[in-house]
Amino acid sequence: MNIQVESLTHIFANSKPQRTALAEINFEVKSGQFVALIGPSGCGKSTLLRLAGDLLQPTRGRIALDGREPAEMRAAHEIAWMAQSPALLPWLDARQNVALAQRFMPTNRHPRLTVDQVLERVGLSDAAGAFPFTLSGGMQQRLALARLLALEASLWLMDEPFAALDEISRERLTTELLDLWQPLHPTVLWVTHNIYEALRLADRILVFSPSPGRIAADLTIDLPRPRSEADPRFQQTLAALRAALGSTVTAQVAQ
Amino acid sequence: MNGSRKSGLVALALVLVFFASWEAAVRFFGVPVYILPSPSRTFVTLATNPEMYLQASALTLGESLAGLLIGVLTGGLLAILLTLLPGLEGGVMTLAILMKSTPLVAIAPLLTIWLGFGVVPKIVITALMTFFPVLVNVLSGLQHVDPALTDLFHSWNASRWEVFRHLRLPTALPFLFAALKISAPLALIGAVVAEWTGASGGLGRTMWLAYTNLNLPYLFAAIFILAAGGMSLFRLLGWLERKVVFWLPDSRES
Repeated sequence: MNIQVESLTHIFANSKPQRTALAEINFEVKSGQFVALIGPSGCGKSTLLRLAGDLLQPTRGRIALDGREPAEMRAAHEIAWMAQSPALLPWLDARQNVALAQRFMPTNRHPRLTVDQVLERVGLSDAAGAFPFTLSGGMQQRLALARLLALEASLWLMDEPFAALDEISRERLTTELLDLWQPLHPTVLWVTHNIYEALRLADRILVFSPSPGRIAADLTIDLPRPRSEADPRFQQTLAALRAALGSTVTAQVAQ
Repeated sequence: MNGSRKSGLVALALVLVFFASWEAAVRFFGVPVYILPSPSRTFVTLATNPEMYLQASALTLGESLAGLLIGVLTGGLLAILLTLLPGLEGGVMTLAILMKSTPLVAIAPLLTIWLGFGVVPKIVITALMTFFPVLVNVLSGLQHVDPALTDLFHSWNASRWEVFRHLRLPTALPFLFAALKISAPLALIGAVVAEWTGASGGLGRTMWLAYTNLNLPYLFAAIFILAAGGMSLFRLLGWLERKVVFWLPDSRES
């Protein structure tokens, strides 16, 4: 799914003082691209994600997904959403949690993967009957990932999905996510605070500057995956990203 | 020994100590039976009139449970209605609070005048007493849904009804149990207070008769039954809660 963002502005009119989360944002994303959105807190990157997912309506401007409104794409079940909290239903076991997501699909769309196949892909076959409270944080987020896969959407909106996990689980899930993403190749918008995560995952990194949120830099990462920190090109991109982020921070301090 | 068995034994020991000191005090000071009967005397009264107490308890329990059922259904359905039609919440809650603030001891005799000495006024009073905690708790349960889950259901394009059925209703279940644990002992009190103001049977009637005749062992026997009954209801609900809302931390430990 390609994304076109045109002079997108979002103002939170109800907050005092009135806060401009995004000001005149423009960019395009090609279908199948993995885009990381990075920037300090309050730079509007989560707001952008919510706008793309039709969880919020923009004040001005527009987002087009394959030329259509986000609301249409949401109704067509083409958008899958995942956030920092695994947001599992505690009264349903792993299998039922995944099945619930598929339940709301339109009847004419038959899922290609069964619930058990999805659970197998994320390595949760043995935990199919387990309730979320018996699973570790990493396992819970893995289950949320299974649910995301089960939707077979062409756009994944992910708001710091692994931010609450410990470093080890985080690394492991990041690698697994790439393995899951590559064969399906949906478009991904991935909000993160983590520089290394962005560099390991994304085809492209949009660096946001805060208040009001603007795109400060647009970096393309043309490195083969899996990426290694030892690779000198990784280090080069890292330096470029640091510089871009540094300038947003100085801009913030200057204000 | 697990934790719940241990705390059960501690409770039992405390009750026994309480009864023993009571018994000892009554005997030592020679308290007359029309002031305070000893526990042993009370238990003997209970044991020598099993049929009378059984009948009275069955009637009171029946009224309490019928009133509780009506109160829970009314409170629960009203909470659902207010969730679906939020515009009504302010008005209905004001009325409910007004009703809750009216002392039931004042209404009970009126209901007896209007509806007679039968079971109906007892059920009405009990329903009035029990519906408020259910309304307030279930309403807040239905409204306090995790925003992360609301986002998720929205992204799945779930309808209002589906959100209600799959998200709000299960979220409210623990709140319902919290309300039931308050309402169930209240139901017994409601029925007894209503019986006290005029009834043809029940524990309240037994107590009233015993009181007017200064027959305190009879009165205390009824009090013992009520205390045991209230506690059993509370325990039963706790057990049911652990089975139904098994995902809560409290349910998992035991």
